[in-house]
Amino acid sequence: MGKISLLVYEQECMGCHACEIACKQEHQLDVGLLFIKVIERSPVYIPIYCHHCSDPPCMDACPMEAISQNEMGIVRVDGELCDGCKTCVEACPYGAIQFDDDRQVALMCDLCYERLENRMEPACSAVCPTRCILWGDEETIARQTDQRRLFWQEKSA
Amino acid sequence: MDEIKKVRTTCRSCHGGCGVIAHVQDGKVIKVEGDPESPISRGTLCSKGLAITQLAYHPERILYPMKKANNGWERVSWDEALDIICEKFNQVIQEYGPESIVIGQGTGRDYESFLYRFANLLGTPNVLTAGHMCYVSRLGATLITCGNLPVCDYEEDPRCIVMWGCRPQWTNPDEYKAESFWRAFKKGSKLIVIDPRKGFLADRADLWLQLRPGTDAALAMGFLSVIIEEGLFDSAFVEEHVHGWDAFQERVKEYPLDWVSETTWVEQDLIQQAARMYATTKPAALHWGVPTEQTLNCTDCTRLMTGLMAVTGNLDIPGGNVFFVPPPVRVVSEFARHKDLSREQRAKRLGGERFKLASRVALISPKTAWDAILTGKPYPLKAALLCGTNPVVTRANATEVYKALKKIDFLAVIDFFLTPTAELGDVFLPAATWLEQNYVGDFWKRHGYVLARQKAVEIGECWQDHKIFQELGKKMGQGEHWWDTVVDALEYILEPSGLTWDEFVKQGYLKGEMEYRKHEQKGFSTPTGKVELYSTILDKWGRDPLPRYQEIPESPVSRPDLLDRYPYILNAGLRTPTYFHSANRNQPWLREIRPHPIVEIHPETAKKHGIEEEQWVYIESPRGRIRQRAKLNDGIDPRVIVAEHAWWFPEIKDPGHGWDIANVNLLTDNTLDASGPVMGSTNLRVLLCNISPCEDQ
Repeated sequence: MGKISLLVYEQECMGCHACEIACKQEHQLDVGLLFIKVIERSPVYIPIYCHHCSDPPCMDACPMEAISQNEMGIVRVDGELCDGCKTCVEACPYGAIQFDDDRQVALMCDLCYERLENRMEPACSAVCPTRCILWGDEETIARQTDQRRLFWQEKSA
Repeated sequence: MDEIKKVRTTCRSCHGGCGVIAHVQDGKVIKVEGDPESPISRGTLCSKGLAITQLAYHPERILYPMKKANNGWERVSWDEALDIICEKFNQVIQEYGPESIVIGQGTGRDYESFLYRFANLLGTPNVLTAGHMCYVSRLGATLITCGNLPVCDYEEDPRCIVMWGCRPQWTNPDEYKAESFWRAFKKGSKLIVIDPRKGFLADRADLWLQLRPGTDAALAMGFLSVIIEEGLFDSAFVEEHVHGWDAFQERVKEYPLDWVSETTWVEQDLIQQAARMYATTKPAALHWGVPTEQTLNCTDCTRLMTGLMAVTGNLDIPGGNVFFVPPPVRVVSEFARHKDLSREQRAKRLGGERFKLASRVALISPKTAWDAILTGKPYPLKAALLCGTNPVVTRANATEVYKALKKIDFLAVIDFFLTPTAELGDVFLPAATWLEQNYVGDFWKRHGYVLARQKAVEIGECWQDHKIFQELGKKMGQGEHWWDTVVDALEYILEPSGLTWDEFVKQGYLKGEMEYRKHEQKGFSTPTGKVELYSTILDKWGRDPLPRYQEIPESPVSRPDLLDRYPYILNAGLRTPTYFHSANRNQPWLREIRPHPIVEIHPETAKKHGIEEEQWVYIESPRGRIRQRAKLNDGIDPRVIVAEHAWWFPEIKDPGHGWDIANVNLLTDNTLDASGPVMGSTNLRVLLCNISPCEDQ
């Protein structure tokens, strides 16, 4: 398997917010912190989340080298090394990095690597009723997005 | 720390049904996940189910029984709490008769079988539920029309889906879950959406019909009119299986398409396209939402939609609207002991003569209860036991509800929290959440399954609702009709299946053996054995046997005189994905997503009133004024305002908990003349209003 990333197929996000709560429960996040967040612009819903970019701008931007990418492609921030400068928060093109004001550290989606190690899908994707939260290597995601794109192309034709 | 134990169970954060794996450690649920093996939800779970630990372990949850003393609530034992209720009930029975006790519940939470068993054995015909305008009203209308509730058969690939006043991805979890609908849709089914708002589905549908709120029955007439005129009906089915087809066609002709278009605001051409698509794409499934029931057109609208399913030949065929076969367990009506309520007591049901269909399904319209409390007519209601319901914010004319519940001599409530309704009580009984109970889940639904709900933990002194009714029943002298434990009662329900409770839990669920087109052998379960578009039952009751459309009593059409002061249609009761009616507003993860009550306003309309996004706005009707926060939405008609329902503010600590700030039911009207003529369905949905920006922001 190549490096993995996360992609929400936005056209199929219905704004139910189940992913947000599944994520908060999995990571025991307090109010104010959301690794995945859906903005309601009915009839369109805009999910904000860490894509685990192949070339992560947050990692490049971090002056403390607190952000790293593991062999699976998962981008993670080391709370011990983070000095709370928020450079990564600014650098993320998706606005996905969270900042814990109490602890003064950056926090971000870890793609549920512990679940992945136990052959379980990420918490957000597991509960999604339209199965629009895609994860996997480039090829897997491309295949799944192509299927969906084709469906909507046929639908509008 | 102990090892994590995984308990397979069934959610009930809404009506319930989704499969859950609860993770238990050191006697506490630390996490819940969707159960991938659930035939209902297939691993998915919504925000409300996922946030259950924040409800179960909420610091303000009441974990022991209480009574109201001179200086406020005081902790008591279960024995004392039940004794107080028992003593009061016996006193009322002696002085006034059992009918002066009202037993109530809110939305369907699958304890109604126990609640009804208690009420029927007590001898009171007065059971107050949401059923007069939600689900049971649909059930009642279909029972008299085709003998059972037709449910979408999403597993058998409908090729056309009509989503009528419903967004299953956010709400309406009766028999349906978004997951199965979405799978059917993604197999390439056509989608027709009927909704006054351009929501997610409307935006992605093949056809979207943006109707004037409350005119669903008129639109159904339009569909039928096209189908009849163009001969698109299934003539073999109609000939064989429909009663009163000729009279029904004549009735439909009274509503020509140009009138329908003018009434519903939907273009004739669009109605034609939609009717043709529905009638000619086979199989087709029609999925209805609760707004169609929450006006005076309730029963007729359901009957018209059932008519659409019937005349297009979509009843009880694979992929259509079907009658699922229940699994082999005892049925709710038998468990509920409806037959034990004497004819004499039944005749005393409040509003029973007027709302014959409501009476037939054993419930009353709330207005008749408030009237009996406030006026003593036709006889006084002196005591109430309300379970899992917050009528002060969920029933029409909240001012009157508050007054009535304040006045009633004795009120006992079963709940998790001290809600605005519970605060008016004399005794509080703490209920168990679904994590703390054993039950045959989805017992009442008509999707062909029952699902094991298994106790994962016990919290405080909370009892599951079923146990409360059982133990109170024993105290009231009903001992011989109840069991030692809840599990014993569940084994009685399961008996026909041959399974013990433990075996059922191990199996997880039971499914009925499905059989389609049952009418070909047995006909329909109506007096004529046919689909009664002309209802012999309504005829016998001296009511109009054919469905019709009645104009909403407070609309631009019926009350042009009000338009100067109240120029907009208020579409009340918008549902949101993170709250179930009045519940969940104190769960931090859920409240974070929707911190404020939202009123949707078209940008043009907002501009006219100088209202900007996120501003607090007054919404005013002839009955009151509330405030909600503006959200501009160009997907609604500029003549329509859309407001959320069931708001109260648990964070406000005085006993009213802000019940009168944003509560849309301070605006709604519950007069009996504005309610459904046979069901007593209150109009919770459509009225006239005005808006203005609040002075203080």
